[in-house]
Amino acid sequence: MTKKLFFNPARCTGCRACEVACSFKKEKVFSPELSRMRVVKLDEEGVDIPTGCEHCEGAPCILICPVRAIRRKAETGAVVLDGSACIGCKQCMVVCPFGAIHFDPTRKAVFKCDLCDGDPECVKWCFTGGVSFGETAELPAGKRHRTAHRHLKAQAEARTGRGKA
Amino acid sequence: MTFKYGGYAGQLLFADLSKGTVKRIPLEKEWCTHYLGGRGRDAKLLFEKQDPSVGPLDPEAHICISPGPLTGLLGPTTGRVNVAGRSPLTTIYGNSNAGTNWGPELKFAGYDGVVITGRSSTPVYLHIHDSDVKLLDAGKLWGEGVFETTARILEEHGPETKVAAVGPAAEHGVLFGSVIFDFWDAAARTGLGTVLASKNLKAVSVRGTGAIRVADPEGYYETARDGWQAILDDPGFKTGEHSALGTSICVNWGNAQGWLPTRNFKESFFEGADKISGEEFRDLYSTKEAPIPAGRACFSCPNRCKRFGRIEEGKYAGTKGNIEFEGVSAFGSKCGVDDLAAVFHAYMLANDYGMDCISCGNTIAFYMELAEKGLLETDGLDLRFGNADAMVEMVHRIANREGRLGELGAQGSERAARAIGKGSEAYLNTVKGLETIACDPRASKAFGFGYAVASRGSDHLRAHPVFEMLKMPEGVGEELFGSKESVDLRKYGGKVRLLAWHENIAAVTDSIGSCRFMHASYYAEYPVPELVNKYAKRKKDPSNIHSIKYHKWFEAATGIPMTYEKLLEAGDRVINIERALNVQWGLKRSQDTLPPRFLKEPIPKGPAKGELFDPVKLEEMLREYYTLRGWDQESGHPLEEHLKKLDMADVAACLGKRGLLGSGKGTSGGA
Repeated sequence: MTKKLFFNPARCTGCRACEVACSFKKEKVFSPELSRMRVVKLDEEGVDIPTGCEHCEGAPCILICPVRAIRRKAETGAVVLDGSACIGCKQCMVVCPFGAIHFDPTRKAVFKCDLCDGDPECVKWCFTGGVSFGETAELPAGKRHRTAHRHLKAQAEARTGRGKA
Repeated sequence: MTFKYGGYAGQLLFADLSKGTVKRIPLEKEWCTHYLGGRGRDAKLLFEKQDPSVGPLDPEAHICISPGPLTGLLGPTTGRVNVAGRSPLTTIYGNSNAGTNWGPELKFAGYDGVVITGRSSTPVYLHIHDSDVKLLDAGKLWGEGVFETTARILEEHGPETKVAAVGPAAEHGVLFGSVIFDFWDAAARTGLGTVLASKNLKAVSVRGTGAIRVADPEGYYETARDGWQAILDDPGFKTGEHSALGTSICVNWGNAQGWLPTRNFKESFFEGADKISGEEFRDLYSTKEAPIPAGRACFSCPNRCKRFGRIEEGKYAGTKGNIEFEGVSAFGSKCGVDDLAAVFHAYMLANDYGMDCISCGNTIAFYMELAEKGLLETDGLDLRFGNADAMVEMVHRIANREGRLGELGAQGSERAARAIGKGSEAYLNTVKGLETIACDPRASKAFGFGYAVASRGSDHLRAHPVFEMLKMPEGVGEELFGSKESVDLRKYGGKVRLLAWHENIAAVTDSIGSCRFMHASYYAEYPVPELVNKYAKRKKDPSNIHSIKYHKWFEAATGIPMTYEKLLEAGDRVINIERALNVQWGLKRSQDTLPPRFLKEPIPKGPAKGELFDPVKLEEMLREYYTLRGWDQESGHPLEEHLKKLDMADVAACLGKRGLLGSGKGTSGGA
C-alpha cells in the first residue's frame, strides 16, 4: 500500500498556504520559490491548479540522474533526492513532466517533494481538498462508494417526492 | 540583506519618476515599532515626506503601495497590501487596501513597499524582479484597459509575474481611479489610481523569488496555526455560507436586517434583492464546482471570499471576473437594478476602466434620483431607477468623461452636485467627499457613526464594526463597551467605544498586513470569542472557539515585544497620524458628520422602517469620540498631550509649528 498526494483543481482555492507551509517546514523561511509544491494561478480565468511531484512509478528523474541522487524510498514510496549528492546538472528538471523539480541557486542543487516522510505539511494547511494525502489503492473504491451514495440519496428523494420540479 | 526585525524585508523602493531614478531606503526603527507597517507606516511616511501644500495630482505628490510585516507569511489572511496618498477625490487622506498575491510577491522580491513620486515625461511602468528594478516604456499600454494591460505584462515578463495596473479612467482623470492587482483585486477607494496615472505610471509589476524570515520560527508557526484554526472553528465560518457566497452574502442578509441601500439611499430594503444575491450569482455564473463554488482566496487565507463567475450567453456574454458585495449593491440595489447580468457587467467594466465601483455606482444612483426629481438634464438617457441599460451606458460615459454627465460624474457626486445646483446636494450620500458604502447608517448606528469619523470619508472599513450585527449576548457588549445596547444594531449605547475599539484593531490589521474579515465577520478577535463563551446561554464548545492573538502573532514574526494593550495603542497612533494628515490638508470638524438625508429622513419602509440617525445623538457621540481620541472638541484637531502620550512628540511639534494643534480650551482631552 502506498499513499500519494492528490491534487484536485476543482477544490483548490488558490490560497497558496501549502507553498509557504512547505518552504517553512523544509527551509524555515517563507518562500514559494523554495516550496516543493506550487499552485498555478490562472487569474484571468479564475482558475487555480495545485501541482507537485506525482512520485511516478516509472519516475523519469530516477532514470536520468547520472549520480543516482534520486531514488525511491521503500517505507513511503516517495521519490526522494539526496541534495548533497546532486551535481546540479538539472537533467531531472528537464525530464519531469510536471515541473516538480526545482533548482536552488544558493545550494547549487535541485530539490523536490519527499512527502515529508509520510506526513506531508502541505496537506495540514489545506482543508478544502485541493491537496490531500491518501492510499492510491483506495482511490477508486472511495469514488465508487461516493457515487453509490449519490444514487442512494437520489432514490430516497424520488420516494419522498423531493427533487421533483 | 538582513533586517533586525523578522517579517520585514527591511527596505522600501523609492522611485522618482521626474528624475527616472529608483533608490532603496532602509526601514526606520520607529516605522516598525510604532506604526507597524502597511497603512500605519504609509501615513507616517506621507506626513514626513510630503509638504502639505502639494496637491493630490501634483508631480511632487507621493503614493505608497505597501504590504505589512505579516504579508507573505503563512496565514491566516496574509495577502494584504495598502495603497496611500492624498486623494484627488476628497483632497484629504486617501487610502485603500486589497487582498492580493501582489503584496506577498513584493515581499519575496525583498521590499516592504514602493513609494512613488514625480512625473515621467512619457508613460512608463515599473518592473521589479528581485534586485533588478527598471522603469520601462508603457507607450503601447497607455489607453489599454486593466485586463489587457495585465495580460500583456504577463506575456512580457512571465506568467508568474504579479501586476498592479491602472486603467483608462485613471488616465482620463476620473477622480476615483483604482489600482487593480492581478486582474481582479481592487484598491479603489479614494482614487489613488488617478494619482499613479497622473505620474504617467501605468503599472507596477513584480516577480520575487526570495524568502522572508521570522524572528521566532517555532512561535510563529504555533500562533499562525492557532489563528488559522480559530477561523476554521468559528461558528460563523463553519456555516460555510460566507465561503459559499462571498461578501455577496450581504445582499440578502442586509436586506433582512433592513440596511441594504436602495435607490440612492431613499430606502434600505430592495424588493429585487433575491435577483442580485450571492445565491443567485452562485447558481447562474459561478465557475467552480461544489463544495467551493467559485471560491478563490487571497494569499494564505482560509476564507475564500472571492466569487469568480462568467456569463456564457445573452447580451453580456463573455463578462467574467470576481464580484464583491459593494459593487453588486452600487450598480444593483443603489440604482434599483435587479438584472444581475447587467450589474455584473457594469462592475467588470468599472474594473477594466479602473475606477471605484462604489463611487461610480453611487454617482449613477445619485443621477437617477435627480432625474426622478426633475433636477437633471439627462443627456438623452432615460436615467430612471432600475434602467439597467442607462446604468451600463453611464459607466462608459463616466470612464470616458463623455458628455456633460460623464464629465461631471468623473469628478464624483459631490462635485457634480455643486455644478448641478438646484438643491441637488440634499440627495448626496457623501462624507468628506467620499460616497457611502453599502450599509444604511440609519439602520446600523456604529456603522453610521463610523462613516462620520472615518479618516478617508464615508466608509465602513476603517472600523468594520459588524459586532453590532451579530446578535451577541448583551453581557459581551456591556463588558467590552460599557452598554448592553451596543449589541443592538439600532441603538446608540456603547457605540462610540465599540467603534473606537474596532477602529484601533482595524488600523492594526491594515498595518500588519492581515485582513478585516478575521476580526469582524467572524468574531475571532481577542477577547470577543472568550466573552461570547462566558455570556452565551448555551455554551459554544469552549475547546474550539477562541480568538486570534494578534500581539503574539506580530511579536513572533518581528521580534518586537508586543502586548494587546500596546497593539491597541499602535492602532490609536495610526488613527492619530491620519488625523494629523487630514487637518494639515484642511479637514474641518464640521466635516465629521453624516449627509443630511440620514439625519432628517426616516427610512420609509422595510425592517428598519422609521429609523434615523439622530443629529443630537451624533453630536453627543462626536464629543465622546474626540475625548477618547484626544482631539480638541472645537476644532477636532489632535491635542499635544495625547500625541505625546502616544509617543508622537515629533508629530505634535510639527503640527504645533503649523498652528494645527488643538487648543484644548474647555475640553476634556486625552483619555
